[in-house]
Amino acid sequence: MVLDHDVDAVTKELLRLGLLHFVNITEVDREVSSQVESITPKIAEAGITEIRRRIEGFLAMIQEKPPSGEDLKVEDLKAVDLEETNKVLDNLAASVQTIRDHQSARQQEILRLEDIWRQLQMFGNLSELVEARSQYSYLSVQTGSIRKGLLGSFEQALEDLPNVTMQMGVPEEENQTLLLLITMKRDEGVLDRILDKFGWTDVHLPRELSGKKDQVQQELEQKLKAAKEEQEQLQSQVNTLIRDRFETLQQMWSNLRLNELYTRVQSFFSKTARTVIFSGWLPSDRRSELTTAIRRVTEGHCYLEWHRGREISKEHPASVPVQMHNPKFLSPFQMLVTNYSVPEYGSIDPTPLVAVAYLIMFALMFGDAGHGAVLLLLGTLGSLLYRGGRAGVRNLLQLIAYCGAAAVIAGILFGSYFGMQWFAPVWFDYHGVVAGHAGGGLVTDIYGILVITIYFGIAVIALGLVLNWINCIAKGRWFRLVFDKGGLIGGWIYAAGVYAAMYFVRNDYKQLPDLDLLILLLGIPVLLLTLKPVLEYLLHKPRKPFSLLTPVDFFMEWIVEILEIFSGYLANTLSFMRVAGLGIAHVSLMIAFFSIAEMVSGSSGGYTVGSYLVLVAGNILVILLEGLSAGIQSLRLNYYEFFSKYFSGSGRAYAPVTLRKNTV
Amino acid sequence: MAGPLRTYAFINAKLRTRISKILPQQFIRQLIRARSLAESVQMLGETDFVSVQKVYERTGDIKTAELELLRKELSVYLELENLVEEDLREFVQALSERFEIENLKNAFRLWFDRRVRGRNIEDARRYLMRRRIHYQIDLEAIIDADTLEQAADGLAATPYTALVRQQAAAVMEAASLFPLELALDRYLYGRLAQAADRLEPRDREIARRLIGVEIDLQNVSWLIRFKNFYSLEAERALGYTLPGGLNLSGELMRQIYGAERTERQISALVGKRYPEIAPLLASEGRGKLSARLTMIERILEQIMTIEVRKIMTGYPFTIGIILAYFILKGSEIRKIMTVLNAKFYEWPEERILTLV
Repeated sequence: MVLDHDVDAVTKELLRLGLLHFVNITEVDREVSSQVESITPKIAEAGITEIRRRIEGFLAMIQEKPPSGEDLKVEDLKAVDLEETNKVLDNLAASVQTIRDHQSARQQEILRLEDIWRQLQMFGNLSELVEARSQYSYLSVQTGSIRKGLLGSFEQALEDLPNVTMQMGVPEEENQTLLLLITMKRDEGVLDRILDKFGWTDVHLPRELSGKKDQVQQELEQKLKAAKEEQEQLQSQVNTLIRDRFETLQQMWSNLRLNELYTRVQSFFSKTARTVIFSGWLPSDRRSELTTAIRRVTEGHCYLEWHRGREISKEHPASVPVQMHNPKFLSPFQMLVTNYSVPEYGSIDPTPLVAVAYLIMFALMFGDAGHGAVLLLLGTLGSLLYRGGRAGVRNLLQLIAYCGAAAVIAGILFGSYFGMQWFAPVWFDYHGVVAGHAGGGLVTDIYGILVITIYFGIAVIALGLVLNWINCIAKGRWFRLVFDKGGLIGGWIYAAGVYAAMYFVRNDYKQLPDLDLLILLLGIPVLLLTLKPVLEYLLHKPRKPFSLLTPVDFFMEWIVEILEIFSGYLANTLSFMRVAGLGIAHVSLMIAFFSIAEMVSGSSGGYTVGSYLVLVAGNILVILLEGLSAGIQSLRLNYYEFFSKYFSGSGRAYAPVTLRKNTV
Repeated sequence: MAGPLRTYAFINAKLRTRISKILPQQFIRQLIRARSLAESVQMLGETDFVSVQKVYERTGDIKTAELELLRKELSVYLELENLVEEDLREFVQALSERFEIENLKNAFRLWFDRRVRGRNIEDARRYLMRRRIHYQIDLEAIIDADTLEQAADGLAATPYTALVRQQAAAVMEAASLFPLELALDRYLYGRLAQAADRLEPRDREIARRLIGVEIDLQNVSWLIRFKNFYSLEAERALGYTLPGGLNLSGELMRQIYGAERTERQISALVGKRYPEIAPLLASEGRGKLSARLTMIERILEQIMTIEVRKIMTGYPFTIGIILAYFILKGSEIRKIMTVLNAKFYEWPEERILTLV
């Protein structure tokens, strides 16, 4: 809370710091809303934004961008006169339009000449036009003479008609000019009047016309070229016109941007008779910075009240903004997380876990060191060469490099180098397993691969459950901790289910665990779940009136809950088999390409050029196709199988009003 | 015939992605709010219509930019002809014939202006689309012909020759191109109906519905013209309309054209099938027929929007996705054209908004 005469200084200071994610005071304290009123800005933010965008449009005409937010200084903020600014821009727009109108006039000329050109292409030479007088000739070709002194005005008079006028040979009389005139037949009426006016005399020169078509075409080409060049010059005049005002436009833009953000900050202020109140969130480690700054500009005449995020988030979980603090090298994975949603305040940031899970999944599906090295190279080169400003593209290139590195490691583990076994596998021969000749080793058949992926899936789901419990404990959500699908009872059922399934498999699919044990493992948690609908009913306020149907509702909810838990966990676990599937597909594709290469090989059995071409093309196809599939499936498994266990994406991102972003 | 999944899986994914990139109404409003034509065109530089912006930047000519827009719309159809399976190609080709016929109509209009009305058509003829669509048509031959019969000779290798010859006398007698334009439109919708008949039953039903709504729109548009410009009697006006409409039967059109008040008829039209449009009925123009017809036009446009929405939210593997794409894309291009033209003539924002 500050005094109203300090509001300008405080606004500027807040803008300079760019720390505060503003909220309306009524979000924090509803009772205050009746005692305060909003500040009405002198100029509406929308009006400023519109003019700012106008300037960006003019800058875009000369392929320039507005200044970066980093270059803006609050000290440069001056009052803005929207009407005056619009006037300046309107004048600029009018000047641009004038040039466009000239361009349009040139365009008409070009179209006229192209019209004549089109017509001329239909005939071998001009004599045909003159002599044929075919109903299909649309050009009128005449030869005649006029007085030399009238040539200029004659050409001017013809300007509105598409025409080619060329001087021909030597006239009989000195003061005469001999002309070849090509016009459109449809303009005969208008042309005849012009010819009469200038005293045109027909001169018959059929022989001279033969071979003149090339000259006429050349004349046309030159005229067209001149008109197009003039059009280009006019286009560059627009560029020059705007570029001459480039500095002014940039300054205008900067001031507008400052005013826009200034207005935006003040839009969150509320006032009483003599004070102004505002509220917002900032990282707790920046608190003293803000305190010092506000106290300085108000000379201590301010009241600052602080609340920890945890206090507010208990009642209003979605209201506290979230700032994710991850090291820069994790930014591709942070992008994957925020693409899904922003984590809720106080919950675990899944970014590091996603990094590990995603890369393992990718590696298992794309386990080839050679292919991985290609991705690593492409991703690294792309990151180094990319000069654009889009963080999304940069993150994607980095992600490709990471995936490549993971695939290299997996390739070494599986002994796969562009589909070949250059070195013995460190873990097991994936290629050999798929092809049916694994020999000895830890994994000897495809079921072994499937089992690995199932175990991996169980680990991921279990980790998701544990994270959910941690989140629930951190937020004091005890009911959810116990009864949620991903809660303790749900986890108990899952663990029991995994145990029962493993027991069943280990006993050759013939025997389940003892009934007593099953009752203990599965029966008890299922029974405990009957309490969920009852407790929900009792805890929910306002409560629906109890009726005879209420126990039926409880029963149905219980049944549905059990079905959801059992089927959901089963589906989630089996979903990880796609990791095996894609890995097997990767190997199978390489086997197929090697087979094709052998088919194309020479009679001596050695590879021919064609074989190598097949292998190169095959490798490229596998890298692209399998790379894309593996990337997408890894994302899907993370989003659907992993996040669904614990991720509450109901957070909102920390978005302070700051000079440093170019868009609000 | 391949199953619907195989026929439409790829094209469905492709077109839905493209539909998601169609410019939203908010962007169209921004185009309208731009304070000059140049600034409005500049905004297109950030969209799929960047070629239109480049053309305008180079030529300064709004009509050349419009021609570029038309070319873009045509290329949408021609591209799809190459992407669809054999069994759909005839239908898509029939759809793209509308451009050829529209081009032909424009050429005939120029002929009529030059030959019958004695006007200078120099400016207008430069903006014909000279690209070959399905048939090689000599547009210059048409425009510069002395008679319609002569113009028909220039259409020798096309199915339009006979049409033009048949209508030549009627055009000269009526001193209007309308008989010829109507004949060309009947030919177009006849082709579409034929091509639709060869589709699978589900696709056929969808195609007929959407084409039917389009025919209704065309008919209402003509009825407005007949009333406002020609003051035709009802029977004569109705004789000129196209058959095959979805919602406007001959009888309903007769009632609308002739009656003073039309709430009952329109409620019957809209009623159960499209309850979402009921609020529009409350503001139906009373009194002048042209106002009522304009309202009906709006209702039919809403019906088209509803039908398209049904397709987008329904079973995806049908011809509906192709038709929906054409309709939405065509609407997008027409809106842009309307806005750029209106900006050129410096119309106020409010007026432009009513058109889009």
